[in-house]
Amino acid sequence: MATQIPANLQYTKEHEWALVEGDTVTVGITDFAQSALGDIVFVEVPDVGSDLKIGATFGVVESIKSVSDLYSPISGEVVAKNTDIEGSPEKINQDAYGSWLIKVKMNNSAETQNLLSAEQYQEFCNSSH
Amino acid sequence: MSELFRTHLYEEHVKLGAKIVPFAGWDMPVQYTSVKDEVLAVRTKLGVFDVSHMGEFFVEGKEAEKFVDHLVTNDIATAPMGKAIYSPLCREDGTVIDDLIVYKLAPGRIMICVNASNIEKDFSWMKSKHLGFDCSLTNLSSVFSLLALQGPEAFNTLKMLIPTLPDLEYYSVFESANGSQPLIMARTGYTGEDGFEIFGTHQTIKELWKKFMELGVTPCGLAARDVLRLEVCYPLYGHELNDQLNPYDAGLGWTVKTSKINFIGKNELANKSHKYKLVKLILDKGIPREGYPVLNSQNEKVGEVTSGTMSVALNKGICLARIEIDKVPKDEVFSIDIRNKFYPAQLLKKPFITGGHK
Repeated sequence: MATQIPANLQYTKEHEWALVEGDTVTVGITDFAQSALGDIVFVEVPDVGSDLKIGATFGVVESIKSVSDLYSPISGEVVAKNTDIEGSPEKINQDAYGSWLIKVKMNNSAETQNLLSAEQYQEFCNSSH
Repeated sequence: MSELFRTHLYEEHVKLGAKIVPFAGWDMPVQYTSVKDEVLAVRTKLGVFDVSHMGEFFVEGKEAEKFVDHLVTNDIATAPMGKAIYSPLCREDGTVIDDLIVYKLAPGRIMICVNASNIEKDFSWMKSKHLGFDCSLTNLSSVFSLLALQGPEAFNTLKMLIPTLPDLEYYSVFESANGSQPLIMARTGYTGEDGFEIFGTHQTIKELWKKFMELGVTPCGLAARDVLRLEVCYPLYGHELNDQLNPYDAGLGWTVKTSKINFIGKNELANKSHKYKLVKLILDKGIPREGYPVLNSQNEKVGEVTSGTMSVALNKGICLARIEIDKVPKDEVFSIDIRNKFYPAQLLKKPFITGGHK
Protein backbone atom coordinates (compact mmCIF):
# COMPACT_ATOMS: atom_id res chain seq x y z
CA MET A 1 0.00 0.00 0.00
CA ALA A 2 1.50 3.30 -1.09
CA THR A 3 1.95 5.81 1.67
CA GLN A 4 0.60 9.33 1.20
CA ILE A 5 3.19 12.11 1.09
CA PRO A 6 1.64 15.51 0.30
CA ALA A 7 3.92 17.78 -1.76
CA ASN A 8 3.12 20.94 0.23
CA LEU A 9 4.61 19.58 3.47
CA GLN A 10 8.14 19.01 4.71
CA TYR A 11 9.37 16.00 6.67
CA THR A 12 11.83 14.58 9.19
CA LYS A 13 13.59 11.22 9.10
CA GLU A 14 11.68 10.42 12.30
CA HIS A 15 8.44 10.61 10.29
CA GLU A 16 7.04 13.94 11.44
CA TRP A 17 5.48 16.29 8.91
CA ALA A 18 5.79 20.09 9.10
CA LEU A 19 3.70 22.75 7.43
CA VAL A 20 5.66 26.01 7.33
CA GLU A 21 3.51 29.18 7.12
CA GLY A 22 5.44 32.37 7.85
CA ASP A 23 7.18 31.77 11.18
CA THR A 24 4.61 29.22 12.35
CA VAL A 25 5.16 25.49 11.83
CA THR A 26 2.34 22.99 12.22
CA VAL A 27 3.58 19.52 13.20
CA GLY A 28 2.09 16.02 12.96
CA ILE A 29 3.15 12.46 12.17
CA THR A 30 3.13 11.04 8.67
CA ASP A 31 0.88 8.45 7.08
CA PHE A 32 3.89 6.10 7.01
CA ALA A 33 4.30 6.54 10.78
CA GLN A 34 0.65 5.95 11.64
CA SER A 35 0.58 2.85 9.47
CA ALA A 36 3.73 1.45 11.09
CA LEU A 37 2.39 2.15 14.58
CA GLY A 38 -1.04 0.62 14.08
CA ASP A 39 -3.95 1.56 16.33
CA ILE A 40 -2.92 4.80 18.05
CA VAL A 41 -4.40 5.03 21.53
CA PHE A 42 -2.50 7.80 23.31
CA VAL A 43 -0.79 11.06 22.43
CA GLU A 44 1.20 13.28 24.77
CA VAL A 45 2.37 16.69 23.56
CA PRO A 46 3.78 19.68 25.47
CA ASP A 47 1.67 22.56 26.75
CA VAL A 48 1.48 25.93 25.07
CA GLY A 49 4.50 28.00 26.07
CA SER A 50 6.94 25.06 26.11
CA ASP A 51 10.28 25.53 24.38
CA LEU A 52 11.27 22.97 21.77
CA LYS A 53 14.69 22.21 20.38
CA ILE A 54 15.23 20.87 16.91
CA GLY A 55 15.76 17.11 16.95
CA ALA A 56 14.82 16.76 20.63
CA THR A 57 11.91 14.62 21.80
CA PHE A 58 8.81 16.64 22.60
CA GLY A 59 6.18 13.99 23.27
CA VAL A 60 5.04 10.46 22.55
CA VAL A 61 2.58 8.57 20.43
CA GLU A 62 1.48 5.19 21.75
CA SER A 63 -0.19 2.32 19.98
CA ILE A 64 -1.71 -0.58 21.88
CA LYS A 65 1.64 -2.35 22.11
CA SER A 66 4.30 0.35 21.63
CA VAL A 67 5.59 3.76 22.62
CA SER A 68 7.25 6.08 20.05
CA ASP A 69 8.94 9.39 20.74
CA LEU A 70 8.08 12.50 18.77
CA TYR A 71 11.02 14.61 17.53
CA SER A 72 10.74 18.32 16.97
CA PRO A 73 11.37 19.33 13.36
CA ILE A 74 12.23 22.86 14.49
CA SER A 75 13.27 24.98 17.50
CA GLY A 76 10.76 27.39 18.96
CA GLU A 77 7.83 27.89 21.30
CA VAL A 78 4.63 25.86 21.29
CA VAL A 79 1.80 28.29 20.50
CA ALA A 80 -1.03 25.78 20.14
CA LYS A 81 -1.75 22.12 20.78
CA ASN A 82 -4.51 20.01 19.32
CA THR A 83 -6.51 18.95 22.37
CA ASP A 84 -8.99 17.27 20.05
CA ILE A 85 -6.35 14.70 19.08
CA GLU A 86 -5.42 14.07 22.71
CA GLY A 87 -9.05 13.08 23.26
CA SER A 88 -9.38 11.04 20.04
CA PRO A 89 -5.89 9.84 19.05
CA GLU A 90 -7.39 7.29 16.61
CA LYS A 91 -8.03 10.23 14.25
CA ILE A 92 -4.33 10.09 13.37
CA ASN A 93 -4.89 6.62 11.88
CA GLN A 94 -7.81 7.93 9.87
CA ASP A 95 -6.14 11.10 8.60
CA ALA A 96 -2.51 11.66 9.54
CA TYR A 97 -2.17 14.98 7.71
CA GLY A 98 -5.48 16.33 8.97
CA SER A 99 -4.44 15.51 12.55
CA TRP A 100 -1.92 18.12 13.57
CA LEU A 101 -0.38 17.84 17.04
CA ILE A 102 1.23 21.21 17.80
CA LYS A 103 1.97 24.60 16.24
CA VAL A 104 5.41 26.06 16.90
CA LYS A 105 6.63 29.62 16.52
CA MET A 106 10.10 29.21 14.99
CA ASN A 107 13.20 30.81 16.53
CA ASN A 108 15.33 30.38 13.49
CA SER A 109 13.79 29.97 10.06
CA ALA A 110 17.11 28.75 8.66
CA GLU A 111 16.42 25.44 10.43
CA THR A 112 13.74 24.60 7.86
CA GLN A 113 16.58 23.84 5.47
CA ASN A 114 17.17 20.65 7.47
CA LEU A 115 13.72 19.34 6.64
CA LEU A 116 13.15 16.87 3.81
CA SER A 117 11.05 17.69 0.78
CA ALA A 118 8.20 15.34 -0.13
CA GLU A 119 10.42 13.81 -2.80
CA GLN A 120 13.33 13.30 -0.40
CA TYR A 121 11.03 11.80 2.23
CA GLN A 122 9.53 9.41 -0.32
CA GLU A 123 13.02 8.26 -1.19
CA PHE A 124 13.86 7.89 2.50
CA CYS A 125 10.75 5.74 3.13
CA ASN A 126 11.54 3.55 0.14
CA SER A 127 15.12 2.97 1.24
CA SER A 128 14.31 2.29 4.88
CA HIS A 129 11.93 -0.56 4.06
CA MET B 1 23.59 -13.90 14.90
CA SER B 2 21.94 -17.26 14.39
CA GLU B 3 19.17 -17.57 11.87
CA LEU B 4 15.58 -17.38 13.08
CA PHE B 5 13.28 -20.38 12.82
CA ARG B 6 10.14 -20.10 10.73
CA THR B 7 6.93 -22.03 11.25
CA HIS B 8 5.52 -24.03 8.36
CA LEU B 9 2.88 -21.32 7.95
CA TYR B 10 5.41 -18.53 7.44
CA GLU B 11 4.61 -18.09 3.74
CA GLU B 12 0.89 -17.94 4.58
CA HIS B 13 1.53 -15.11 7.05
CA VAL B 14 3.57 -13.18 4.51
CA LYS B 15 0.81 -13.60 1.91
CA LEU B 16 -1.69 -12.21 4.41
CA GLY B 17 0.50 -9.13 4.86
CA ALA B 18 1.48 -9.89 8.45
CA LYS B 19 4.09 -7.81 10.20
CA ILE B 20 6.78 -10.33 11.17
CA VAL B 21 9.03 -9.86 14.21
CA PRO B 22 11.68 -11.98 15.92
CA PHE B 23 10.24 -13.69 19.00
CA ALA B 24 11.96 -16.38 21.11
CA GLY B 25 14.26 -17.24 18.22
CA TRP B 26 11.42 -17.36 15.69
CA ASP B 27 10.14 -15.11 12.91
CA MET B 28 6.54 -14.73 14.11
CA PRO B 29 3.52 -12.72 12.92
CA VAL B 30 2.95 -9.93 15.46
CA GLN B 31 -0.10 -8.49 13.70
CA TYR B 32 -1.96 -8.80 10.40
CA THR B 33 -4.26 -5.80 10.12
CA SER B 34 -5.00 -4.18 13.45
CA VAL B 35 -4.29 -5.41 16.97
CA LYS B 36 -7.61 -3.97 18.07
CA ASP B 37 -9.61 -5.77 15.38
CA GLU B 38 -7.79 -9.03 16.12
CA VAL B 39 -8.52 -8.77 19.86
CA LEU B 40 -12.18 -7.98 19.18
CA ALA B 41 -12.47 -10.92 16.76
CA VAL B 42 -11.37 -13.31 19.51
CA ARG B 43 -13.65 -11.78 22.15
CA THR B 44 -16.75 -11.63 19.95
CA LYS B 45 -16.31 -14.10 17.10
CA LEU B 46 -13.28 -16.15 16.16
CA GLY B 47 -9.56 -15.75 15.66
CA VAL B 48 -6.71 -18.13 14.95
CA PHE B 49 -3.07 -17.92 16.05
CA ASP B 50 -0.11 -19.83 14.66
CA VAL B 51 1.76 -20.80 17.82
CA SER B 52 3.83 -23.56 16.23
CA HIS B 53 6.93 -22.13 17.86
CA MET B 54 5.83 -23.67 21.16
CA GLY B 55 7.34 -26.98 22.24
CA GLU B 56 5.75 -30.42 22.56
CA PHE B 57 7.24 -33.19 24.69
CA PHE B 58 5.81 -36.68 25.03
CA VAL B 59 6.13 -38.90 28.06
CA GLU B 60 5.09 -42.49 27.48
CA GLY B 61 5.20 -45.67 29.51
CA LYS B 62 4.05 -47.25 32.74
CA GLU B 63 5.31 -44.42 34.97
CA ALA B 64 4.48 -41.46 32.72
CA GLU B 65 2.02 -39.96 35.21
CA LYS B 66 4.34 -40.59 38.14
CA PHE B 67 7.28 -38.93 36.37
CA VAL B 68 5.39 -35.80 35.31
CA ASP B 69 3.75 -35.53 38.73
CA HIS B 70 7.26 -35.56 40.23
CA LEU B 71 8.46 -32.86 37.81
CA VAL B 72 5.73 -30.25 38.24
CA THR B 73 4.04 -28.55 41.20
CA ASN B 74 0.41 -29.12 40.19
CA ASP B 75 -1.40 -32.42 40.68
CA ILE B 76 -1.04 -34.68 37.65
CA ALA B 77 -1.33 -38.14 39.21
CA THR B 78 -4.90 -37.86 40.48
CA ALA B 79 -6.27 -35.61 37.69
CA PRO B 80 -8.74 -37.50 35.48
CA MET B 81 -7.62 -38.96 32.16
CA GLY B 82 -8.33 -36.51 29.32
CA LYS B 83 -7.59 -33.44 31.46
CA ALA B 84 -5.20 -30.60 30.67
CA ILE B 85 -3.39 -29.17 33.70
CA TYR B 86 -1.53 -25.85 33.88
CA SER B 87 1.59 -25.96 36.07
CA PRO B 88 4.90 -24.33 36.84
CA LEU B 89 8.01 -26.48 36.45
CA CYS B 90 10.32 -25.69 39.36
CA ARG B 91 13.86 -26.35 40.57
CA GLU B 92 14.61 -27.72 44.03
CA ASP B 93 14.90 -24.14 45.32
CA GLY B 94 11.39 -23.39 44.06
CA THR B 95 12.41 -21.08 41.22
CA VAL B 96 10.39 -21.42 38.03
CA ILE B 97 12.04 -23.01 34.99
CA ASP B 98 8.91 -22.60 32.88
CA ASP B 99 5.13 -22.70 33.00
CA LEU B 100 3.50 -25.35 30.87
CA ILE B 101 0.40 -27.41 30.19
CA VAL B 102 0.29 -31.15 30.81
CA TYR B 103 -2.20 -33.10 28.67
CA LYS B 104 -3.25 -36.53 29.93
CA LEU B 105 -3.94 -38.14 26.55
CA ALA B 106 -4.30 -41.77 27.64
CA PRO B 107 -3.01 -44.01 30.42
CA GLY B 108 0.77 -43.94 30.08
CA ARG B 109 0.69 -41.21 27.41
CA ILE B 110 1.22 -37.54 28.29
CA MET B 111 1.96 -34.50 26.14
CA ILE B 112 3.56 -31.39 27.65
CA CYS B 113 3.38 -28.04 25.86
CA VAL B 114 6.11 -25.57 26.82
CA ASN B 115 7.16 -22.03 25.94
CA ALA B 116 9.23 -21.69 22.76
CA SER B 117 12.05 -19.83 24.48
CA ASN B 118 12.41 -22.58 27.09
CA ILE B 119 12.30 -25.76 24.97
CA GLU B 120 15.99 -26.65 25.35
CA LYS B 121 16.15 -25.59 29.01
CA ASP B 122 13.04 -27.59 29.94
CA PHE B 123 14.00 -30.67 28.00
CA SER B 124 17.50 -30.93 29.43
CA TRP B 125 16.10 -30.36 32.94
CA MET B 126 13.52 -33.10 32.50
CA LYS B 127 16.13 -35.43 31.00
CA SER B 128 18.33 -34.91 34.06
CA LYS B 129 15.45 -35.98 36.33
CA HIS B 130 14.33 -38.91 34.19
CA LEU B 131 16.62 -41.65 35.51
CA GLY B 132 14.76 -44.40 37.35
CA PHE B 133 11.31 -43.71 35.89
CA ASP B 134 9.85 -46.39 33.65
CA CYS B 135 8.81 -44.14 30.76
CA SER B 136 10.25 -42.44 27.69
CA LEU B 137 10.70 -38.70 27.26
CA THR B 138 10.77 -37.32 23.69
CA ASN B 139 11.00 -33.80 22.31
CA LEU B 140 8.67 -33.72 19.28
CA SER B 141 8.62 -29.92 18.95
CA SER B 142 9.95 -30.07 15.40
CA VAL B 143 7.30 -32.61 14.36
CA PHE B 144 4.25 -30.66 15.54
CA SER B 145 2.65 -27.45 14.41
CA LEU B 146 0.12 -25.78 16.70
CA LEU B 147 -2.86 -23.51 16.12
CA ALA B 148 -4.91 -21.75 18.78
CA LEU B 149 -8.47 -21.28 17.54
CA GLN B 150 -10.03 -18.86 20.00
CA GLY B 151 -13.40 -17.19 20.36
CA PRO B 152 -17.09 -17.94 20.97
CA GLU B 153 -17.51 -19.58 17.55
CA ALA B 154 -14.58 -21.97 18.05
CA PHE B 155 -16.50 -25.16 18.76
CA ASN B 156 -19.03 -24.85 15.93
CA THR B 157 -16.36 -23.97 13.41
CA LEU B 158 -13.96 -26.74 14.39
CA LYS B 159 -16.81 -29.27 14.55
CA MET B 160 -17.64 -28.51 10.91
CA LEU B 161 -14.14 -29.51 9.88
CA ILE B 162 -13.66 -32.35 12.37
CA PRO B 163 -17.06 -34.03 12.86
CA THR B 164 -15.70 -36.47 15.47
CA LEU B 165 -14.82 -33.57 17.80
CA PRO B 166 -16.64 -34.01 21.15
CA ASP B 167 -17.95 -31.01 23.10
CA LEU B 168 -14.96 -31.13 25.44
CA GLU B 169 -14.99 -29.54 28.86
CA TYR B 170 -12.70 -26.58 29.47
CA TYR B 171 -9.11 -27.79 29.97
CA SER B 172 -9.81 -31.20 28.45
CA VAL B 173 -8.08 -32.91 25.56
CA PHE B 174 -9.08 -35.25 22.74
CA GLU B 175 -6.73 -37.25 20.55
CA SER B 176 -8.06 -38.23 17.17
CA ALA B 177 -6.51 -40.07 14.30
CA ASN B 178 -6.53 -38.10 11.07
CA GLY B 179 -5.76 -41.07 8.84
CA SER B 180 -2.32 -42.06 10.06
CA GLN B 181 -1.51 -38.50 11.16
CA PRO B 182 -1.70 -37.56 14.85
CA LEU B 183 -4.18 -34.82 15.75
CA ILE B 184 -4.63 -33.57 19.30
CA MET B 185 -7.27 -31.02 20.22
CA ALA B 186 -7.60 -29.44 23.64
CA ARG B 187 -10.09 -26.92 24.99
CA THR B 188 -7.31 -24.62 26.07
CA GLY B 189 -5.76 -21.36 24.94
CA TYR B 190 -4.31 -18.29 26.51
CA THR B 191 -6.95 -15.69 25.74
CA GLY B 192 -9.65 -16.28 28.36
CA GLU B 193 -12.13 -17.13 25.62
CA ASP B 194 -13.55 -20.48 24.66
CA GLY B 195 -11.37 -22.18 22.11
CA PHE B 196 -9.11 -25.00 21.10
CA GLU B 197 -5.44 -25.64 20.74
CA ILE B 198 -4.87 -27.99 17.82
CA PHE B 199 -1.64 -29.98 17.63
CA GLY B 200 -0.88 -31.81 14.40
CA THR B 201 1.73 -32.52 11.77
CA HIS B 202 2.84 -29.56 9.67
CA GLN B 203 0.78 -30.75 6.71
CA THR B 204 -2.42 -31.28 8.73
CA ILE B 205 -2.10 -27.89 10.41
CA LYS B 206 -1.39 -26.10 7.13
CA GLU B 207 -4.57 -27.59 5.62
CA LEU B 208 -6.57 -26.56 8.70
CA TRP B 209 -5.16 -23.03 8.59
CA LYS B 210 -6.19 -22.68 4.94
CA LYS B 211 -9.70 -23.91 5.76
CA PHE B 212 -9.97 -21.41 8.61
CA MET B 213 -8.96 -18.63 6.21
CA GLU B 214 -11.58 -19.76 3.68
CA LEU B 215 -14.19 -19.69 6.46
CA GLY B 216 -13.27 -16.10 7.29
CA VAL B 217 -11.62 -16.75 10.66
CA THR B 218 -9.51 -13.71 11.62
CA PRO B 219 -5.77 -14.43 11.62
CA CYS B 220 -4.32 -13.00 14.85
CA GLY B 221 -0.77 -12.18 15.81
CA LEU B 222 1.28 -12.23 18.99
CA ALA B 223 0.41 -8.63 19.88
CA ALA B 224 -3.30 -9.45 20.09
CA ARG B 225 -2.47 -12.61 22.04
CA ASP B 226 -0.54 -10.54 24.57
CA VAL B 227 -3.39 -8.05 25.03
CA LEU B 228 -5.91 -10.90 25.39
CA ARG B 229 -3.91 -12.77 28.04
CA LEU B 230 -3.17 -9.60 29.95
CA GLU B 231 -6.84 -8.55 30.05
CA VAL B 232 -7.60 -11.84 31.82
CA CYS B 233 -4.36 -11.65 33.89
CA TYR B 234 -2.59 -14.81 32.71
CA PRO B 235 1.15 -14.68 33.46
CA LEU B 236 3.73 -14.90 30.69
CA TYR B 237 7.17 -16.41 31.18
CA GLY B 238 9.89 -13.77 30.88
CA HIS B 239 7.54 -11.15 32.30
CA GLU B 240 5.60 -12.30 35.37
CA LEU B 241 7.72 -15.45 35.71
CA ASN B 242 11.45 -16.01 35.43
CA ASP B 243 14.36 -18.10 36.71
CA GLN B 244 14.66 -16.05 39.92
CA LEU B 245 11.02 -16.20 41.05
CA ASN B 246 8.89 -18.91 42.63
CA PRO B 247 5.22 -19.54 41.80
CA TYR B 248 4.00 -17.50 44.79
CA ASP B 249 5.86 -14.44 43.49
CA ALA B 250 3.59 -14.58 40.43
CA GLY B 251 0.33 -15.30 42.24
CA LEU B 252 0.44 -18.97 41.24
CA GLY B 253 0.14 -20.43 44.74
CA TRP B 254 -2.98 -22.29 43.57
CA THR B 255 -0.80 -24.44 41.27
CA VAL B 256 1.47 -25.64 44.07
CA LYS B 257 -0.04 -28.78 45.57
CA THR B 258 1.97 -29.25 48.75
CA SER B 259 -0.40 -32.10 49.69
CA LYS B 260 1.31 -34.23 47.03
CA ILE B 261 3.67 -36.82 48.52
CA ASN B 262 6.66 -35.37 46.76
CA PHE B 263 7.71 -33.24 43.83
CA ILE B 264 10.77 -31.22 42.85
CA GLY B 265 10.81 -28.03 44.89
CA LYS B 266 8.34 -29.22 47.53
CA ASN B 267 10.66 -28.62 50.49
CA GLU B 268 11.27 -25.01 49.54
CA LEU B 269 7.71 -24.28 48.41
CA ALA B 270 5.99 -25.88 51.40
CA ASN B 271 6.61 -22.80 53.57
CA LYS B 272 5.06 -20.52 50.91
CA SER B 273 7.66 -17.84 51.45
CA HIS B 274 8.06 -15.34 48.66
CA LYS B 275 9.61 -11.96 47.98
CA TYR B 276 6.99 -10.41 45.73
CA LYS B 277 3.29 -9.98 45.23
CA LEU B 278 1.86 -9.68 41.73
CA VAL B 279 -0.89 -7.05 41.54
CA LYS B 280 -3.38 -5.91 38.93
CA LEU B 281 -3.52 -2.16 38.33
CA ILE B 282 -5.81 -0.10 36.10
CA LEU B 283 -5.35 3.55 35.12
CA ASP B 284 -7.83 6.21 34.07
CA LYS B 285 -5.08 7.97 32.16
CA GLY B 286 -1.72 6.81 30.84
CA ILE B 287 -0.56 3.44 29.56
CA PRO B 288 1.73 1.40 31.82
CA ARG B 289 4.58 -0.48 30.12
CA GLU B 290 6.98 -3.17 31.27
CA GLY B 291 9.68 -1.78 33.57
CA TYR B 292 7.84 1.38 34.62
CA PRO B 293 8.25 2.05 38.38
CA VAL B 294 5.23 1.54 40.64
CA LEU B 295 4.98 4.02 43.54
CA ASN B 296 3.12 4.20 46.86
CA SER B 297 1.22 7.23 48.20
CA GLN B 298 4.56 8.75 49.31
CA ASN B 299 5.84 8.41 45.72
CA GLU B 300 8.38 5.83 46.86
CA LYS B 301 9.14 2.99 44.45
CA VAL B 302 7.59 -0.27 45.66
CA GLY B 303 7.83 -2.36 42.51
CA GLU B 304 7.58 -2.34 38.76
CA VAL B 305 5.30 -3.17 35.88
CA THR B 306 5.88 -6.67 34.44
CA SER B 307 3.40 -6.37 31.53
CA GLY B 308 1.30 -3.41 30.50
CA THR B 309 -0.92 -2.40 27.64
CA MET B 310 -3.93 -0.42 26.57
CA SER B 311 -6.91 -2.70 27.16
CA VAL B 312 -9.02 -3.03 24.02
CA ALA B 313 -12.08 -4.10 26.02
CA LEU B 314 -11.86 -1.30 28.60
CA ASN B 315 -10.01 1.38 26.64
CA LYS B 316 -7.83 2.00 29.69
CA GLY B 317 -4.23 1.30 30.61
CA ILE B 318 -3.87 -1.99 32.50
CA CYS B 319 -0.90 -3.84 33.92
CA LEU B 320 0.44 -6.56 36.12
CA ALA B 321 3.08 -5.30 38.53
CA ARG B 322 5.54 -7.02 40.85
CA ILE B 323 5.57 -5.40 44.30
CA GLU B 324 8.17 -6.14 46.96
CA ILE B 325 6.29 -8.08 49.61
CA ASP B 326 7.38 -5.86 52.53
CA LYS B 327 6.49 -2.72 50.59
CA VAL B 328 2.91 -3.59 49.64
CA PRO B 329 1.07 -0.47 50.86
CA LYS B 330 -1.68 -1.08 53.40
CA ASP B 331 -3.73 1.80 51.99
CA GLU B 332 -3.53 0.12 48.56
CA VAL B 333 -2.75 3.48 46.95
CA PHE B 334 -0.55 3.13 43.88
CA SER B 335 0.67 5.31 41.08
CA ILE B 336 2.85 4.58 38.08
CA ASP B 337 5.79 6.66 36.96
CA ILE B 338 5.28 7.20 33.24
CA ARG B 339 8.06 9.38 31.80
CA ASN B 340 8.52 11.09 35.19
CA LYS B 341 4.83 11.90 35.61
CA PHE B 342 2.89 10.03 38.26
CA TYR B 343 -0.43 8.54 37.14
CA PRO B 344 -2.84 7.17 39.79
CA ALA B 345 -3.47 3.42 39.44
CA GLN B 346 -6.32 1.53 41.04
CA LEU B 347 -5.74 -1.92 42.54
CA LEU B 348 -8.08 -4.64 41.30
CA LYS B 349 -8.60 -7.97 43.06
CA LYS B 350 -10.16 -9.70 40.06
CA PRO B 351 -8.96 -9.89 36.45
CA PHE B 352 -9.65 -6.82 34.31
CA ILE B 353 -12.26 -8.72 32.33
CA THR B 354 -13.89 -12.13 32.53
CA GLY B 355 -13.31 -14.13 29.38
CA GLY B 356 -16.11 -16.21 27.89
CA HIS B 357 -14.44 -19.60 28.33
CA LYS B 358 -16.51 -22.52 29.56
